Amino acid sequence: MAICQFFLQGRCRFGERCWNEHPRGGARYGPSASHYQGGGGGGWGTANQRYTNVIQPSTFKSTWGGSRDHGRGLFGSSDFGSSGGSSSSKNTDFSQNRFSALMNSQNTADGYKDEEERLLECVVKDMEMWESSGQWIFSSYSPMKEKPNVSGFSDFSPEELRLEYYNCRANNNIQNYMNSIQQLANQWKNRLLQLKTLNASTKAALLSELKNTITQPLPSFGFGGQQTSSFGLSSFPVNSSSTSASSFSFKTSSSLVSASSGSTPAFGSSPAGCNPPAFGVTSSPSVSRSVGFGSPAAPSAASFSFKTSETTSGLGTSGFSGFGNASAVNSSSTTSLTAFGSFNAAVAASPSHSSSTLFGQSASASGHNVTPVPSAVTNNAPSDKLYTPKSELTAEEIQQFEAKRFTLGKIPLRPPPLELI
Amino acid sequence: MSLFGSTSGFGTGGTSMFGSTTADNHNPMKDIEVTSPPDDSISCLAFSPPTLPGNFLIAGSWANDVRCWEVQDNGQTIPKAQQMHAGPVLDGCWSDDGSKVFTASCDKTAKMWDLNSNQAIQIAQHDAPVKTIHWIKAPNYSCVMTGSWDKTLKFWDTRSPAPMMTLQLPERCYCADVVHPMAAVATAERGLIVYQLENQPSEFRRIESPLKHQHRCVAIFKDKVNKPTGFALGSIEGRVAIHYINPPNPAKDNFTFKCHRSNGTNTSAPQDIYAVNGIAFHPVHGTLATVGSDGRFSFWDKDARTKLKTSEQLDQPISACCFNHNGNIFAYASSYDWSKGHEFYNPQKKNYIFLRNAAEELKPRNKK
Repeated sequence: MAICQFFLQGRCRFGERCWNEHPRGGARYGPSASHYQGGGGGGWGTANQRYTNVIQPSTFKSTWGGSRDHGRGLFGSSDFGSSGGSSSSKNTDFSQNRFSALMNSQNTADGYKDEEERLLECVVKDMEMWESSGQWIFSSYSPMKEKPNVSGFSDFSPEELRLEYYNCRANNNIQNYMNSIQQLANQWKNRLLQLKTLNASTKAALLSELKNTITQPLPSFGFGGQQTSSFGLSSFPVNSSSTSASSFSFKTSSSLVSASSGSTPAFGSSPAGCNPPAFGVTSSPSVSRSVGFGSPAAPSAASFSFKTSETTSGLGTSGFSGFGNASAVNSSSTTSLTAFGSFNAAVAASPSHSSSTLFGQSASASGHNVTPVPSAVTNNAPSDKLYTPKSELTAEEIQQFEAKRFTLGKIPLRPPPLELI
Repeated sequence: MSLFGSTSGFGTGGTSMFGSTTADNHNPMKDIEVTSPPDDSISCLAFSPPTLPGNFLIAGSWANDVRCWEVQDNGQTIPKAQQMHAGPVLDGCWSDDGSKVFTASCDKTAKMWDLNSNQAIQIAQHDAPVKTIHWIKAPNYSCVMTGSWDKTLKFWDTRSPAPMMTLQLPERCYCADVVHPMAAVATAERGLIVYQLENQPSEFRRIESPLKHQHRCVAIFKDKVNKPTGFALGSIEGRVAIHYINPPNPAKDNFTFKCHRSNGTNTSAPQDIYAVNGIAFHPVHGTLATVGSDGRFSFWDKDARTKLKTSEQLDQPISACCFNHNGNIFAYASSYDWSKGHEFYNPQKKNYIFLRNAAEELKPRNKK
């Protein structure tokens, strides 16, 4: 079959119905022509397929809002910008990518590469917009509808942060809060700059991430490499939907809830109030998370625990967002603890808190080291050295560096030792 | 019809008392101010159901309280009662008979407040703050649905301490809406799940988020025959997605639109983008209202895909909104939503709840 030239340029009006071949399974990217007349905008006009390579006139640009189009601004009082469903995802990047798509297709005439370029273009534009717009920065992000979340951006809602602030204020600990926010903001900024100025390695990592729905372990971004929960997200829903589906009943199924609700889970023999190591093995702390799913989850727990078991220390378990991490850990504690609270918890908590068992020895270690870390802040300026000698770091900091992810509230303020990089 | 009367006078009734001598922009729309508003940011607003005669409004706030006012036809608001939680109240809703109010709080509990006796008892427990609470009234059961940051959705019979059912969420619950028999829950990391509530709640579908950023609010809308058919999802990035569950043509029927952005008619200056804090559908007309961190509210007609109205800018973000049961009153709360972090938080700043006559402004545009 003939290859559809319009599809290669990213603007096939017939989409799946097109008589020509759309290489690389990209049939879903072409919008169907006839459907866009009237409705949200008559921009497509009535030209038939056989028109030659005439650049689509800007009339369509003025009626479609596009998605990432800087110039559009607020659409007027009578129009919605429309970015449709998945089949028009190609449209959305269309207006600003049109020319780059053409240029690329002239060079390579390869529809597949085009899509990558488009994605990267989209990411860059979005990063620029995000930076300049003043919108909420602690948000996940994905360049297109069906793509997974880009790593390096975790979701924190304003309410979660506000609650943290209120808790810290109640404990006279606002500095803690501000430091953590600063950390998060710096990480966001770094990641954003990385994505804005895509160099070869970021590009490769990003593209492989976006292609696969199951993300591979990402290259650490140097200091403070933080995996997003796309890492966890891809494994989690698979398990949670299957297990949760099997465990429905209208009877009290509280045993299926995270064990910290106080009732003994299905496995029995659990120390009260703690997340028991369901399989009797101490190593993978992620197992304790799976207790919440009940016994049918046994195989699946093992299957996703392998992803998170790369972390040796209890602190870094579960590549989920830092908030979710610590909050699951602290789930049975009575005080309202989140990741920030883990600082206080380690100090104030008695060993009977589940947090201590999950963290293992590290809790007791961190219990001792909580004060030295803040004092480390006051003592040294964040050092001029690029790396901190291992001997200078507290045990807790070392654990943080060794862990796969930082636990929020325990993010070290000094650079890692050379040995751990 | 119990309207707020004609346009004369009532709009200025509240504001004049506060001596707005300077260019005080706290009520540029000259709407009715609710008396004795909460002392800290308002997180949720809800009007009483039609089963209760008159209009009662509840508001939950970050001052750990939930307050109830009676809203009279002449626009007067009379504070009636309030209840406290141990932590900020994040969501509230009414039971279908209007006798109880359910409130969800950061203290990881949800309470049931019996308005007749003015007693509140705890009915739910989570492992993390409870973000959403909704009353479900099905033909064969009724329960309270709570969504929490502990990544679970729990269903509670108010008489027993253990949940009737627990559903796992992929991530922390950020917002939810229930219109029987459908429930939509949006979570962190762009998760989006629809549940069907007939017989017993079960997951209906996980949906790929139509938005690129964090989900902030969701509202279900109904079709002409009053069945829930889709939802509107707002994000932190000034965008709302209209999504139908089973549309005849998804590519054409589902769409997103930008809102709550600074006017960027000139291409050179970057836009300011604000979060959409709340979406509410008019119960009669089916048109929707959105409120944002920019301190404006807007009315939209999703079928004609047009904007009906945008308000003037208030000096604070608008953090919550709702319609009363017959759509005559639109309530919106002006208070800080933490969209710019703690630096912009001023505990001394007064918070307001405004009431606006919504009968006329939300009439849909006639389709061409």
